[in-house]
Amino acid sequence: MTTGSFTSRPRYSPLTRFPSARAHLLVADHAGIAPHAFAETCSAADFPERWEVVAHARVLPQPLGGPGVHQFRSASHLLTLLGHRLNAETMGLRLYAVGSEPFVWDVARVGREAGMGREEMQLFAVGQPVRRVVCVHCRTINPEVTTTLVTCAGCGVTLSVRDHFSRMHNTWMGVQCDAEAPGELPEVEDLCA
Amino acid sequence: MATAFKPDETFRGDFRYSNSAAAVLRFPFPFVEDRYMYGINLEPHTRPGSSGAFAVAFDVDEHYVAECAERALSLAQDPGRCLVLPHMHEAEWDTLELIMESLAADYPEHFTLEREGLDWTWTNRPLGLHQTFRFGDAGTLPYPPFEYITRQAQGDFTLQDQRDGTLYIDGGITTTQADWSLAFDVGMTFHEWHGPVPLAHQAGVFDRALQYLMRVRYGHPARRLNWTLTVNPRLDTSPENYPIWGPDRASLTPENIADRLFLRVELQTFYRLPRSNALLFGIRAYLANLADLTRVPKWGRRLHRVMRDLHPEVVGYKGITRYHDVLVNHLAQFDDGAPTSPGIAPDVDALREM
Repeated sequence: MTTGSFTSRPRYSPLTRFPSARAHLLVADHAGIAPHAFAETCSAADFPERWEVVAHARVLPQPLGGPGVHQFRSASHLLTLLGHRLNAETMGLRLYAVGSEPFVWDVARVGREAGMGREEMQLFAVGQPVRRVVCVHCRTINPEVTTTLVTCAGCGVTLSVRDHFSRMHNTWMGVQCDAEAPGELPEVEDLCA
Repeated sequence: MATAFKPDETFRGDFRYSNSAAAVLRFPFPFVEDRYMYGINLEPHTRPGSSGAFAVAFDVDEHYVAECAERALSLAQDPGRCLVLPHMHEAEWDTLELIMESLAADYPEHFTLEREGLDWTWTNRPLGLHQTFRFGDAGTLPYPPFEYITRQAQGDFTLQDQRDGTLYIDGGITTTQADWSLAFDVGMTFHEWHGPVPLAHQAGVFDRALQYLMRVRYGHPARRLNWTLTVNPRLDTSPENYPIWGPDRASLTPENIADRLFLRVELQTFYRLPRSNALLFGIRAYLANLADLTRVPKWGRRLHRVMRDLHPEVVGYKGITRYHDVLVNHLAQFDDGAPTSPGIAPDVDALREM
């Protein structure tokens, strides 16, 4: 439940181990997870099975996992094999994801598609703010948006990003910002600023 | 007296749309007092209630045939306006049963439902439909059951699944919506899909409304009124088509605002469904322009006071900013300073001469 949170904007808490779970799987879209991704009482060492992205093609992962650090060639590679892994899992696994916001919600989607509930996962977004923005008019997904305005790659309108995030689609809503008066655009702001 | 339908009305393009005097007098005017702020304003959907629009479960009025044609056009252009997640299958049949039974009971001259066990026959005379089907067998209907019946009803509908202590919007049909997208919001919790609404979260409105709605029982529906303003009698004010209707907001002038600015009222109804335990929301949009509404003296006075004193964040969220001054200046002529009676009733039997 998100009572007390006034928007659909996701808010993240540092990871803690679920107290009573049969197994834990931590996935990240990078190697070397920063300590601030974990709550004070815990660290990467509390997650004996970790999947990381190393961004080169010379690793061979073991998708059915087991204790140890497993390396993947890309986030897409990791997500594909995560689906296979979760489909082979039984009850009692808890899933943790650390990385960019689009990545951690991709992990949540793979978990949901494998039958996991929201309460069986923890997500923590790290790094520079980056948003996946869907153009509500033409349905094009604009990845890696780092500003408050973006030109839609599909229909070319200038989108402002509404403060509205879909966990199911893993997108922010982009709406044409000068539909009422063409050319009347607000200042562009950098999300990192 | 049977309703005289106006099948040639349009809600886009040439905007052939008008309200009869009777339709104006039964308009569900949303302001119970001379000011407005977000509130719960939920009440039992008991009949007849304080507005003519509350007389039946699902109101069928003079715009029925034209609104169904408009819905068919919107769905042809964007089939994604009707969307139901697979686990809501049972709620689809619940909805079909509720709407068919209600329409047949409330309007026997227009609708008939005959049931022989699971073999049902549905007759919709205004739309010229006659359909025999087997309840529970979607293959015997030309559309999935939820879409089939909501194509024959005025207003939008959404299906909420109740789990994890909240409501999830897991289906619906939206072709008459006030700037929200079902395709985007599907799968969200109650608080998530209301995220963009200002002020009300902080006031605890959504927390309390959710608690109320999760306790709605089968056979005891609830309702509330919501409102916004729309330029032209346009039903499809979706975010998807905002590039098409957005420019209308910059087109209002002191000369045309009375005819072209419409108060858009949503009669929202909330029904518990018997088999699925899902909650059906009906979101029925009524449109009346300022020229018609101000022919009721009480409503003219009240509209002026409400619009003049609106909280700036409400002005912004409802998209009124660009023409707020023109609106208030126009309405001032209908406000003689006299007191208004509490409640939404028009207090007159006939409209003021124009």
